[in-house]
Amino acid sequence: MSNADIALMAHLMRRAGFGASRDELEQRVARGYENVVEDLVNPGTPNAMPDDVIRRYHVDMAEMRELNSAGAYWIYRMVTTDNPLEEKMALFWHSLFATGYSKLNQARALMNQIDTFRRHSMGSFHTMLVELSRDPAMIIWLDNNDNHKDDINENYGRELLELFSMGIGNYTEDDVKECARAFTGWTLGNAEYMATRASRDSIWPYSRIAWHFQYRDHDHDDGEKTFLGHTGNFNGEDIINIIVQQEATARFVSTRLFQFFAADEVDAAGEAVIEQMMATYFASNYEIRSVLRTLFNSDYFKSEAARFARVKGPVELVVGAVRLAGTYQEPTFGADQLARYTLYMGQGIFQPPSVEGWHEGSEWIDSGALVERVNFVGKELGDPSNPGVKALIDRMSAGVERPLSAEEQVDACADLLGPMQLSSATRTSLSEFAGEQGEADLRAGTRTEADDQRIANLLRLLTATREYQLA
Amino acid sequence: MTTAVAAGPVEYLKTIGLTTNQSGRGFTNPYDCAFAPDGRILILNRCDTVRASLVRIGMMNWEEDYLGEFSRGYGRGDGQWILPVAIALDDQGVVYVTDEQQHRVTALDTDGNFVRQWGEKGNAAGQMNGPAGLAMNAEGVLYVVEQGNNRVQRFTTSGESLGTWGETGDGPGQFNMPWGVGLDPAGNVYVADWRNDRIQKFTADGQFIAAYGASGDGDGQLSRPSGVCVDSDGYMYVSDWGNERVQILDPDGGFVQSLRGQATLSKWAQDFMSVNPDERNTREMSNLVPELPPHLDTPYLISSQTEPYFWGPVSVRLDSEDRLFVVESNRHRIQVYQRRKG
Repeated sequence: MSNADIALMAHLMRRAGFGASRDELEQRVARGYENVVEDLVNPGTPNAMPDDVIRRYHVDMAEMRELNSAGAYWIYRMVTTDNPLEEKMALFWHSLFATGYSKLNQARALMNQIDTFRRHSMGSFHTMLVELSRDPAMIIWLDNNDNHKDDINENYGRELLELFSMGIGNYTEDDVKECARAFTGWTLGNAEYMATRASRDSIWPYSRIAWHFQYRDHDHDDGEKTFLGHTGNFNGEDIINIIVQQEATARFVSTRLFQFFAADEVDAAGEAVIEQMMATYFASNYEIRSVLRTLFNSDYFKSEAARFARVKGPVELVVGAVRLAGTYQEPTFGADQLARYTLYMGQGIFQPPSVEGWHEGSEWIDSGALVERVNFVGKELGDPSNPGVKALIDRMSAGVERPLSAEEQVDACADLLGPMQLSSATRTSLSEFAGEQGEADLRAGTRTEADDQRIANLLRLLTATREYQLA
Repeated sequence: MTTAVAAGPVEYLKTIGLTTNQSGRGFTNPYDCAFAPDGRILILNRCDTVRASLVRIGMMNWEEDYLGEFSRGYGRGDGQWILPVAIALDDQGVVYVTDEQQHRVTALDTDGNFVRQWGEKGNAAGQMNGPAGLAMNAEGVLYVVEQGNNRVQRFTTSGESLGTWGETGDGPGQFNMPWGVGLDPAGNVYVADWRNDRIQKFTADGQFIAAYGASGDGDGQLSRPSGVCVDSDGYMYVSDWGNERVQILDPDGGFVQSLRGQATLSKWAQDFMSVNPDERNTREMSNLVPELPPHLDTPYLISSQTEPYFWGPVSVRLDSEDRLFVVESNRHRIQVYQRRKG
């Protein structure tokens, strides 16, 4: 098993997952890169933390009334799932179809939306758009409950075209109106009562009532419509049939997936990969799984140039650190703080800044967010009593025959945290720190808590490096 | 035990309670209730993380008059609670509360004065791990169910351990994260063996008698039962938490009736609606028991959408008139039922 194979697998797992321990990387390398891609795009049983034990311990996650409790509930799943790409894709769709709590006052409806995103995460984009259009949180978020047969509201119709499928410049204002007409009557059950409660943030008399889709035939405009050159008595599904056939849609979806999984910026080589993804999109009948397979198996994605070319988003940073530290494996007091940390770093789950979602890439990093990022990850990985940290030090200590020098400590930590390629300046600074701490004697029989703490201190410092903050 | 009384159906009486985000009238994630001889109903409010400081016991009567509240507050100080689970009341007016986070039992009087507390995390006698259900028998013996130690521990009211029984497993007398506990008039002990999906019955000193229920959602089957109480004829009332329902079993464990919930507006809820016409008017035109799409097909999700149904039934208790109180944590209310005899 070569170091190059480990480094490539680590790259795939940072992008298609939330990172992986060295033990997991070795298991996956043994299985083969393309087989691992297939495992990721065809998720099995998640084996995530059981829902019943979460709801018994966390009364707030049972009621699902509070924003941060809902966010933490999802983070539990991201931390403990065996299907990291499934959760990563749910996060991708949440970023793309950004729906916010502030207007809904309904965390349960938002979690149900995430469940829908997960259920259809890698299936047909056509199905995804139909389900999105039927999603009650989206309906309230973009006012489709106010889109009536005799009084249309264009908000959802416009964003469906502009932000969710094709992008501006690929349709006319008339197309927007006709799209909105087709989605009249797509609302939620008890829409008037639910909208009143949402606008008043009412929890009375007996807490929130979750939402479900309802189609009101009597409020649907069944008249003739002309949309993107097609004419007929279109309903919403007919509109989506036309949307998914557009080249602009293929380009939009492929580009967004590329930017989320491959590189923040698209260069000429990246453009070629996007063209391949678009071809797969049509050949597979709009199947996201196939588009992802094309991306992950592309030479571009596997190249050295693609590595560490993305800034880790706050959620993936937090989840990655917790997974590596081995914490939060069971219901944990104060777990809702996890959601708050991602907010402090700029990505509050269910709190996108607008319907356009988050501005990603280098915009994740400002001085305040960076301090939060470094502090959180440092706390998780700087504690040698955390099971994942202990396992990492155990692995480092296997077979050592003499105390590790400062440089050896730095190299071992960088290897097991990545493997990470440190700049010479960073390596020198870390070595100086390690030197001041002294040797770490990890030999069986002489290894002490102080030795473990020295390694953990170094891990803590490594998480502050530029290299660790990139995926 | 024979069934001297024919199994009569249970009928709905009324709903009490109202969601509140502040102290005073209303419930905040109610978790258990108890009944004082003077007619006061005591409701333990566990509260969620955002409203943790409101942890308290509220008091009301059957007529739904609000009678005040008490606690020592949220925290680790004397008499304070973090994650309270269950309460029991002795004949001296002292209230005992389990706290699963602090692994202890706290005793206060109903004026909120600190009486005593005991316990710390561990598995030795007198120590506890995740104390959950709590019940007191006629002799003043407290039964504490420990979810973390998979055992039942008996205490005197002064906190002296009288012994334990149970271990981890799914055999007779073994437990998997047990939760609630109830006693019958003869002093037998019934434990909601939560993750084994069954009720176990023991003698007062822990000898195994029988187990009832199996995993599932059919009649007489259970999914994560949270609580159990037993009436004067030996009928068992089980809060079937995972199925979001209440199962009623005869003294031999035979299925009698299943309740899904049928809450109506409490007196306090009616007061709210009377001064909020926007919500009242749109509510009146709504169907609160809607047809749901197929992906929302679990009991939990159905209950989240269907306001009259039980949602998070965490405890069942019988008052001295055999009225059944079903405490719903997620709906901040109690639905009350009564068995018709004869």
